[in-house]
Amino acid sequence: MRKSKALVALLTASAMVAGLMGTSTAVMAVEESTSDLNIMLETPVESLDPQQATDGTSFEVIADYTDGLMQMDADGQAVPAIAESYDVSEDGLTYTFHLREDANWSNGDPVTAQDFVFAWQRAVDPAVASEYAYMLSDIGQVVNAAEIIAGEKDKSELGITAVDDKTLEVKLNVPVSYFLSLMYFPTFYPVNEAFFEGCADTFGTSPDTTLSNGAFILDEYEPAATVVHLTKNEDYYGAENVSLPGLNYQVIQDSQQALMSYQTGALDLTLVNGEQVDQVADDPEFMTIGAGYLWYVSPNMSAVPELDNLNIRLAMTMAIDRDAITADVLKDGSIPTYTAVPMQFAAGPDGSDFSEDQEKFSDVCKYDAAAAADYWAKGLEELGISELTLDMVVDADDAPQKVAQVLKEQWETTLPGLTVNLTVEPKKQRVQDMQDGNFEVALTRWGPDYADPMTYLGMWITDNSNNYGLWSNEEYDSIIAECTTGDLCTDAEGRWARLYDAEKIVMDEAVIFPLYTQANAEMMYSGVTGVEFHPVALNRVYKNAVKAE
Amino acid sequence: MKKYTLKRILTSIFTLLVILLVLFILMQLMPGSPFNDEKLNNDQRAALYAKYGLDRPIIVQFFHYAKNMLKGDLGVSYNISKNTPIAQMIQTRLPISICIGGLAVTIGAIVGLLLGLLAALKHNTIWDSLATVISVIGVSVPSYVFALALSYSMGFRLQWFPMLYNARNALQSSVLPSISLSMFTMASIARFTRSEMLEVLGSDYMLLAESKGISGSALIFKHALRNALIPIITVLAPLIVDLMTGSLVIEKIFAIPGVGSLLVNAIQSNDYNVVISLSFIYSAMYIGIMLVVDILYGVIDPRIRLAKKGD
Amino acid sequence: MKKGTSTAAAVQAAPYVPVDADFQLKNNFEEIGIDSNFSAQSFWKDVITRFFKKTSAVVGMILIILITIMAAIGPGMNGYTYSGQTLSEKNLAPRVKGLEKLGIFDGSETMNTTRGSKTVNNYEEKGLDDVYYWFGSDNFGRDIWTRTWEGARVSLIIAIAAALIDMIIGMSYGLISGYFGGKVDMVMQRILEIANGIPRLVIVTLLLLVFQPGMLTIVIALMLTEWVGMSRIARAEMLKLKEQEFVLASRTLGAGHFSIIFKEVLPNIIGPIITQVMFSIPTAIFTEAFLSFVGLGIPVPRCSLGSLISEGFNSFTTHPYQIIPPIIVMALLMLSFNLVADGLREALDPKLKEM
Repeated sequence: MRKSKALVALLTASAMVAGLMGTSTAVMAVEESTSDLNIMLETPVESLDPQQATDGTSFEVIADYTDGLMQMDADGQAVPAIAESYDVSEDGLTYTFHLREDANWSNGDPVTAQDFVFAWQRAVDPAVASEYAYMLSDIGQVVNAAEIIAGEKDKSELGITAVDDKTLEVKLNVPVSYFLSLMYFPTFYPVNEAFFEGCADTFGTSPDTTLSNGAFILDEYEPAATVVHLTKNEDYYGAENVSLPGLNYQVIQDSQQALMSYQTGALDLTLVNGEQVDQVADDPEFMTIGAGYLWYVSPNMSAVPELDNLNIRLAMTMAIDRDAITADVLKDGSIPTYTAVPMQFAAGPDGSDFSEDQEKFSDVCKYDAAAAADYWAKGLEELGISELTLDMVVDADDAPQKVAQVLKEQWETTLPGLTVNLTVEPKKQRVQDMQDGNFEVALTRWGPDYADPMTYLGMWITDNSNNYGLWSNEEYDSIIAECTTGDLCTDAEGRWARLYDAEKIVMDEAVIFPLYTQANAEMMYSGVTGVEFHPVALNRVYKNAVKAE
Repeated sequence: MKKYTLKRILTSIFTLLVILLVLFILMQLMPGSPFNDEKLNNDQRAALYAKYGLDRPIIVQFFHYAKNMLKGDLGVSYNISKNTPIAQMIQTRLPISICIGGLAVTIGAIVGLLLGLLAALKHNTIWDSLATVISVIGVSVPSYVFALALSYSMGFRLQWFPMLYNARNALQSSVLPSISLSMFTMASIARFTRSEMLEVLGSDYMLLAESKGISGSALIFKHALRNALIPIITVLAPLIVDLMTGSLVIEKIFAIPGVGSLLVNAIQSNDYNVVISLSFIYSAMYIGIMLVVDILYGVIDPRIRLAKKGD
Repeated sequence: MKKGTSTAAAVQAAPYVPVDADFQLKNNFEEIGIDSNFSAQSFWKDVITRFFKKTSAVVGMILIILITIMAAIGPGMNGYTYSGQTLSEKNLAPRVKGLEKLGIFDGSETMNTTRGSKTVNNYEEKGLDDVYYWFGSDNFGRDIWTRTWEGARVSLIIAIAAALIDMIIGMSYGLISGYFGGKVDMVMQRILEIANGIPRLVIVTLLLLVFQPGMLTIVIALMLTEWVGMSRIARAEMLKLKEQEFVLASRTLGAGHFSIIFKEVLPNIIGPIITQVMFSIPTAIFTEAFLSFVGLGIPVPRCSLGSLISEGFNSFTTHPYQIIPPIIVMALLMLSFNLVADGLREALDPKLKEM
């Protein structure tokens, strides 16, 4: 009895050791290098297919090994990448890109104009159902994109043509002032058609089914893996400027483990949570990086009659102490925001930040408990009620739950008679509830897709699928139409001024209660320089990063 | 016995089919949809539903899925890793979870059994109290607290073991997660062994065996432990499945690419195929182990074997 | 017992020499020497007497009572409420009037920053001279003392509700299945396999997603998933006992199924059942804690011990005092439930009495 038991235990143990050995030999091929840049990721990569990817992590990794027509420089401006140069026609409707002769895929094929045509057609193909297809239609205004997405035209009619192997011509419906800055967005990245077909359905699911034309080559990746590794691409046209031998990503979901790993030197770049900021605030390696996301509260004006009352909405937005939320609860460097378009991502024709002046709507959006109480009393009187109970849906993540608890407390103490119940749901369900109009108040966020205020202001036009409060204002709709497809397309200054008018309507009507612009608290090893951080599209770019030994 | 075993295997297969159907129905009840990202419009959503065949009646989907499953095709992921075949995702992750879970079960069962035996044999002594205290700590402190404490002390301070799972160094980096995972099993087994052994040791047949002059170790292992094993196995069996199918918190803390976190993510993002596949694998393992346990009962306790022959 | 064993061994080894030990009574526990008249007492009175004789069980019982009392009155013992936030008083270390002069609980804490550790007293820095948080305050400036006892209250209610339902449903199911055997057992076990074969997490999350999260939903979710373990124990015990003579005897004497299952067999397996109930309490609390970890536990700002641990977890390395009170209360609760379970088990076991 005892002997056989020992035998069984021994067998189990040896089987397990063999199993562990098996898994370890499988990845032995990749040598660990200490001079690689070791980066912590919060979430795993969702997709390495540039036309399917939607999340920041995936974008970052895709951009590590793929170049688009343009790339971002350190300031977020679009500068040439695969496109050596470009011409824009006088009317602003035709872009001609001239591709570099020395741009090659890692299998030796040259990067051609056809690769872009194939990729862009995939992006609008209804069969692919790319989430970011609207980047070509609504945002990019590429000819026929909207019709193809709607299934009315064939994808071959898309306004993109390969004039020859190295010349690409793109036609737009209307002039788009920020069109070049879209070119560094991964949805517009090229895909080698022959290689894609060769992978059948497995494109982008392993190092063997990805092709690089960028600074690095993917050499370790499994679907939803916790480790992703890239090695420098020696054949990259800009290889002499790339100094890192490789990038080593490690997904760590627990922030304390991440900080400890950072302290042992296993990571060069890591996120820290708000609680840990107390620990690291004095450290010169600590920094906060703007993440672009605007967090706001969306009241459902169509479903809750009480919220249709402007005074109630104004009372609620003015009862929020945004400074307390960012300084006392989040502590990660997030910035209190009093405008519908967040700061630090959209620069105007004169180069100034669209939302630099945070006090321009201070008559309708600031922290003023007394004014809030007045509005509240007035609103209740108009409605003929003395108390109000609202449900607020909140994501089941750490930060939103914290913020929601503070909001509840601030509202309930400042506005007598208001009770706020929190409904915590996984994000997918919260989004679904909002899409179904099945919510009263929601805490939500929006990240900018391109460097123009329209990425926010476009949301609140009538019938937009993200206008969850079902708010509708004719004047607002006409201003937005004027700025996207109307006369103001070519008049940068005039457009800018009209966008302010549109934002003012949103704020005056308290369509949303802006809260804060998210920032990430990070630690970066002092020997690392040249990592470029951006709030839009690609959050981190490592091409020019240097790590001192 | 053979006939009984065969019958059990057949019914198990039937049970699995029912479970698959139940899982399909449960997915229908799930609020939310896999394709409801803020940036998709209604047409695109409908296109995606059609593309993945989610617009067909549930029973058609079920038979389609069951048919594909026989061919080894578990479908593709909608969200977590877009369009990746699930078989590929599981292939790399399940072995890792099984290894760490298996290690945890082995540690937990062996240490727990020894602790429980010690406590029972030295009933009402300091050893008994010590074993009780250890097992109580094991069941009263959540595993993630152990995990963080172990990681802080042995990983960060002493640097004996890696703090994060690393496929290049799988054995060493599995140590801390396995120990954290094994605490609950160890404590449960220790307490159960103690309670069962006390009962068995106090029984008449033990007195008889003892008075017949059977000596110490034979007495304990051949007579007492054997009789105490049935309930212990009953407790251990489901724990094995739970541990082998991964633990979300441990995977999260040690950055282990296992199936536990995959399942939770899949549920939260409505990635139906991943939920169904993983749940089904869990069910298959569970039912498999229950089958083995049922047959083991017969081996350990002849009375049950006799009873089953009567069927 | 050890003495007996060695004697037996000696008998085998050497030619027989009578010794005193031959004539000692086997299993001569102290109780046998006590001259009490068991027949004069009722079974339960007997149980109580035996239970209170066991110190550890009494200690456990007192602890449970104490924690229950604190869970009832603790949240009202100071001016704070469990949800009231004072953001200007967040992350304050424990400070107790009187004790602070002794150098403990004086509101200072040592922070391990990346630039070495430093000791700070946030009360003094912020000029909060008259503010006392006995267990400290959390990152919203809520009183951890109040929240700990409020959490204990919620956890106790959830755990006890779950354990009771667990016991009633699981035990009956297992006993009936094991007793009837054959086809009934087969069908019942298949149902159980299906119910249990689906990962608990899937069922629980689904339930919480479909219904509004709250205490009742959590109890229902636990009820649907926790009873299986109990039924398995009960069935295994039943399989062990049902072929024994006393069951046969009752059956021959014409006892009905119901009476055999619940009157004859049940008292004989109360030990493992109670042990299992005691185990289902931490399991219930853990499952709730796990749900909190995933974000589906008791909705904020309410709290349970589990959700407090999950919350404090994020500050484990920064402000460890935030996680310690709920962990200690939880551990004490578990310890005392276990001690009481042990005491009850030994007090209830009729076989001990026969010896």
